[in-house]
Amino acid sequence: MRITFPHIGNAYIAVKAMLDPLGVDYVVPPKCNKRTLSLATKYSPEGVCIPFKLNLGNMIEAVELGADHILNVTGHGTCRMGYYFKVQEQILRDMGYDVTMMLTGLSEHKLRGFLNLLRSVSNNAPWTKIISSFAFGIAKMTALDDIEIMANNMRAIEKVKGTATPIYRKGLQAIDDAADYRSLKEVVKECGEKLSEIEIIPDYKPLKILVVGEIYVVLDPFANMDVELELGKLGVITNRSLYLSRWVKKGLFFNPLGIDQWRDVHKAAMPYLKRDIGGDGWETVGEKVISSGHYDGMVHLAPFTCMPEGTAQCIMPSTREDLPVLAIYCDEQTSKAGMLTRLEAFTDMILMKKTGCLSR
Amino acid sequence: MQKKVFLGIDVGSVTTKCALMSENMELIAHRYIPTSGKPIIQIQKLMREISSEIPSDCEIGSAGTTGSARYLAGEIIGADVIKNEITAHAVAATHFYPDVRTILEIGGQDSKIIIIRDGIVTDFGMNTVCAAGTGSFLDHQALRLGISINEFASEAMKSKNPVRIAGRCTVFAESDMIHKQQMGHSTPDILYGLCQALVRNYINNVGLGKTIEKPIIFQGGVAFNRAIVRAFEEELGTEIMVPEHHEVMGAIGAAIIAWENYNATGKKTHFKGFAISDISYETSTFTCKGCPNQCEIAQLKLGDRVLARWGGRCEKWEYISNIKESPEDAAVTG
Repeated sequence: MRITFPHIGNAYIAVKAMLDPLGVDYVVPPKCNKRTLSLATKYSPEGVCIPFKLNLGNMIEAVELGADHILNVTGHGTCRMGYYFKVQEQILRDMGYDVTMMLTGLSEHKLRGFLNLLRSVSNNAPWTKIISSFAFGIAKMTALDDIEIMANNMRAIEKVKGTATPIYRKGLQAIDDAADYRSLKEVVKECGEKLSEIEIIPDYKPLKILVVGEIYVVLDPFANMDVELELGKLGVITNRSLYLSRWVKKGLFFNPLGIDQWRDVHKAAMPYLKRDIGGDGWETVGEKVISSGHYDGMVHLAPFTCMPEGTAQCIMPSTREDLPVLAIYCDEQTSKAGMLTRLEAFTDMILMKKTGCLSR
Repeated sequence: MQKKVFLGIDVGSVTTKCALMSENMELIAHRYIPTSGKPIIQIQKLMREISSEIPSDCEIGSAGTTGSARYLAGEIIGADVIKNEITAHAVAATHFYPDVRTILEIGGQDSKIIIIRDGIVTDFGMNTVCAAGTGSFLDHQALRLGISINEFASEAMKSKNPVRIAGRCTVFAESDMIHKQQMGHSTPDILYGLCQALVRNYINNVGLGKTIEKPIIFQGGVAFNRAIVRAFEEELGTEIMVPEHHEVMGAIGAAIIAWENYNATGKKTHFKGFAISDISYETSTFTCKGCPNQCEIAQLKLGDRVLARWGGRCEKWEYISNIKESPEDAAVTG
């Protein structure tokens, strides 16, 4: 039995940390690249969204490396994602690969389901070991988000362009290599120090943009064409509504206790949208309402053909809050040049609104 | 002291435009030529032509580029500012029409709408996954019906009963047009039907969720087509203004932004001079082998010196001054 799991941003580093101590035989699919995308579009239904396609591409590339069991999540939300595992399994079987999906329902089984899943791949390791490796994975996840936030802040204000990103990439590798809590803490500290030592542009007031939308395209830089990196190059500080560590903590710990983990956001969305419409559509609308005043603008990422985000996008212009929103659809057809033009025009627009002129 | 003039170049997918503005922001000269898939050669051609238009007591104060090849053009001429085409169009339109509230712009490969309130851009939209109804499509259809694009408007204006064409997608539009033509509808009726379909598609897609208010101006190459202008006026039920130099508004905008930048910073221009028309630049591509992504990197070279590189997902090749290894090393080490 060789396990694999599809990518979502840098989450593979955390999943590795959970599987390593349990002695699981696993293979990480190659990071999303052009081949992944070509395989994915070749074997996927045309109208399905980019998360489905890239995940399928990851699975195919992992199966080529000998994987036969695939860890995956499902759910009974309002979006199609709940059925994806079944369709993906069928496509892989039609291709002649004999694979087994190992699933947990995120919305129904929550933390318990995830731990059970870990236990089943670890050949029934003791619970203490399962819980400690899970906790270490979450610690790595938190560390990944911490250095990413720092890098996104520095990239906008660094004096020599292109300084922060290599430090961040080295940090990612160091987090992946860290074997215990102590070394993890050290590498995060070291990466943070290096980032804070970067020479910055004096008296520069960067714009602040919030990136919201569907979780996969928000978290995965390949799917969103490095939107945060590109905004950083334009001198914009980005923040996101979603960070994997926070999402997992809220989703797995608070939710089972019956607490609505997104209560603030849902409450804010109420005047415009009164219910969950699947995916992250409800939260997207709420984020616009609570972010006005704290941010200069918002970038709304949505997979092409996504029903929840499409609905959210149509609601956005009619809200009372005055916050410029740029919608970007992520798809294999989307060209990066087109996205850059829009990002540049969007930041120019915000700047002109704020200062009345283009020169900073 | 010599007087300054300001240069703007707009290199689009289909046409390359250039505008020369005086210190008082009056248009001195402009050019409009096809890009023909050879942006560098066409930029050089434009520079040769425009250099003869500069008054003898003037010199270039600052230069700006825009359009989809703005970075390439900026590198070649030594631009002081490189701006996206949405900002450039908005700046030019508000310069000539300070009270404008909506800008419709249709070019060769893309179409945009820009919403302006109190002289400031408040919202914009651009065609996303569909290119239906841009200049190239009109060109193609005119060609197919055997009329030149210059006759398109006058033919379409003869229409008495325009037919309804499905305009959502170029493929559907074309098959629908062929269907109507085989049923025996007249060419003017089909052509004007196409104009209406294009306008409907534009309002429903690009203009989705935007409040189109007067005064409305229409710029870009497609504004040459009076039939499209009329279809817009009928659809929106109001008058549309077409600026005299609608086809070079992007280039004018780039020149204005260069002028603003010059006034704000007072810096000496990086403009490389008109001699660049005679230099032969070399462009090439290579595949980076640094990671599985295998980015295709394009580079612009002058002799042995690399001027610029584009196309990588990471920062490895992007900042020329930071780069230590050559592409050849990367190919080996990868």
